[in-house]
Amino acid sequence: MSLVTSIRDSSAYKVADRYKKLIIAFLLIVFLFVLGEVVVETFFSFGQILLTIKLAAFIALFGLCQMVVIASGGSGLDLSVGYTATMTAVFTAAIMDGQNANLWMAILVALGLGIVIGLANGVLTAYFKLPPLVVTLAMANILQGVINVYTAGRNITGRPSPVLQIIAAKSSGMFPNILFILLILTPIVMIIMYKTKWGLKLFGSGSNETAAYLSGVNVKMVRCTAFIISGTLASLLGLLLLGNMGIAFKDMGSNYVMPSIAAVVVGGVSLTGGDGNYLGVILGAIFLQTLTNLLVALGWGDAGKWTGFGIVLFVLLIVYVSNRRRR
Amino acid sequence: MNNDSALKRLISNPDFSRLLILILMFALTAVLQRNFFAMKSIVRNINSFTPLILLTMGQAVVILSGGLDLSVGTALSLMTCVLTSVMKEGAPITGLYALGVTFAVAMAIGMINGVGIGYLRIPPVIVTFATSFIWLGIALFLRPTPGGQTVEWFQAFYKIRNVEGSPPFLDALGEIVPPALILVLIGCLLWWVVSRTKTGRYIYAVGSNSQSAYETGINTDWVQMRACMINSVFIFLAALFFVGQNRSGDARMGDPLTLKAIAAAVVGGIALTGGRGSVYFALIGALIFSFVSKIIFFANIPNAYQTLFGGVIVIVAIAGSQIYTLSSRRTVEESKLT
Repeated sequence: MSLVTSIRDSSAYKVADRYKKLIIAFLLIVFLFVLGEVVVETFFSFGQILLTIKLAAFIALFGLCQMVVIASGGSGLDLSVGYTATMTAVFTAAIMDGQNANLWMAILVALGLGIVIGLANGVLTAYFKLPPLVVTLAMANILQGVINVYTAGRNITGRPSPVLQIIAAKSSGMFPNILFILLILTPIVMIIMYKTKWGLKLFGSGSNETAAYLSGVNVKMVRCTAFIISGTLASLLGLLLLGNMGIAFKDMGSNYVMPSIAAVVVGGVSLTGGDGNYLGVILGAIFLQTLTNLLVALGWGDAGKWTGFGIVLFVLLIVYVSNRRRR
Repeated sequence: MNNDSALKRLISNPDFSRLLILILMFALTAVLQRNFFAMKSIVRNINSFTPLILLTMGQAVVILSGGLDLSVGTALSLMTCVLTSVMKEGAPITGLYALGVTFAVAMAIGMINGVGIGYLRIPPVIVTFATSFIWLGIALFLRPTPGGQTVEWFQAFYKIRNVEGSPPFLDALGEIVPPALILVLIGCLLWWVVSRTKTGRYIYAVGSNSQSAYETGINTDWVQMRACMINSVFIFLAALFFVGQNRSGDARMGDPLTLKAIAAAVVGGIALTGGRGSVYFALIGALIFSFVSKIIFFANIPNAYQTLFGGVIVIVAIAGSQIYTLSSRRTVEESKLT
């Protein structure tokens, strides 16, 4: 037995191989923090890390929407999450008007909007077989249009309820409250994805459509459901965004769309479907937020942010997705 | 009976019904727009349709080769920013430099997208989504706010008469044949030449079945890259027109055009799965799309509703084409059986 095979058989190697992409994402974050500390002073501190995680939480939550849709396969992606969240925030701000008593009504409205948007996306992509990217991009336009119509000739009024503000914006001691949401959500997502029958169906539809269909999975239904989940989550995220910002405005969610997809790629989740490790998405989100912080600290602004995100996404696509199969 | 099925076959011929829709939309616009046949409004219509027509034809080439380009809008924006950054107002010669530099940028954009789609075989939608943000970032670096300088003669790409000291016969020619139309004709000529060469046939072959194209000895990666570079030329032509018209660069101007170009190509019968359709019919798709937008404009819909209707039209157009293609294929097959 050669040395190479004995290393391959060792359990440590197997663990490392299994979590290879998570480890890479983690190392990338560490690298950015070290780089930041070298280039910009006082970049690496406990407070800074917590702040980064707080900002990254929103990217990670939008990343969850993407991950569910991507995992269901069929080259699914949801570009409408940003404006779904914005629309919910704009509408529910007026409903809540700073009162806790109106929160349940706002949640109902958010659920309703999310389900309707997700259903529309799901039906058009799964049943009419239209490309998800084009459909959800057009859906984003429609939602943006609805917001434009709603805000034409009137101001966006209202404030989030105090409970939302406490959850999304405030901290308990050092730790931002949104971190606890993520801590509760992650195990739930992991259990649903890896331990339930539905998770199995989702991954099955993503990794091998035909095999899933032949073993009795309603692939179309699964994909449609994935879009409904994404829409509903995005809509509820609109409430959290509103809680974080304190007011609603026209473009509040649209800047999260690109990072949410990038987070999934950085986290090592396969874009062809059939895979969905949410821990990777969270690490990806933290990486992107750290990158943003670094670029902002360097004074490169929006231009630097989008160029940086684009290049990172492109390079990681080459590393992870590129399919140079030998023919 | 026989007669009936012949009619049925004609109606279910997608190209025939596309032409029919175009004529219908044309007639409807002619009724709604005052002085539709006056030279001035014809020129104005051609001017407002040109960018979408050029981008749709470019997009059609990429889709035919089995790709899809989500970065056309930001690539167009980037090219306008490069053009207006290189040019200096008082120095006419900088216009030529700008043309050279921007064409090089266009080729680089096509090559990078082509490497991603072709050589690296990353799903086209994802890789061009990534590159679109690179183009956006660079465009924002060059021009954080709309603006920039152009040389005087650059207006020739929009209206020759605006250029001081141009020969009178060129002025007269520009009134009859607007520069925008010439740019579209250059685009058509480009595709006509390409479609006569091996590249044109290879694009169809790779788009309809990449594996068997490869097995017959076609360098599929290089073909897809060439398709992306042809697309870049179309975007370059659109950028020339835009800068000639507005005399400024804008990092955000192209964003809405990406989706419209894809939808217009689909309306023109380009199958998103690749390898089926015609670039000239994509041009007709862009015309139909433009006329529909025009009709909606005449229906006196408030400005606030425009984004909303834009999105609805895209979904209806794509879903409609998809359903129509599926059902007409069925009709044709049935009529063959009887």
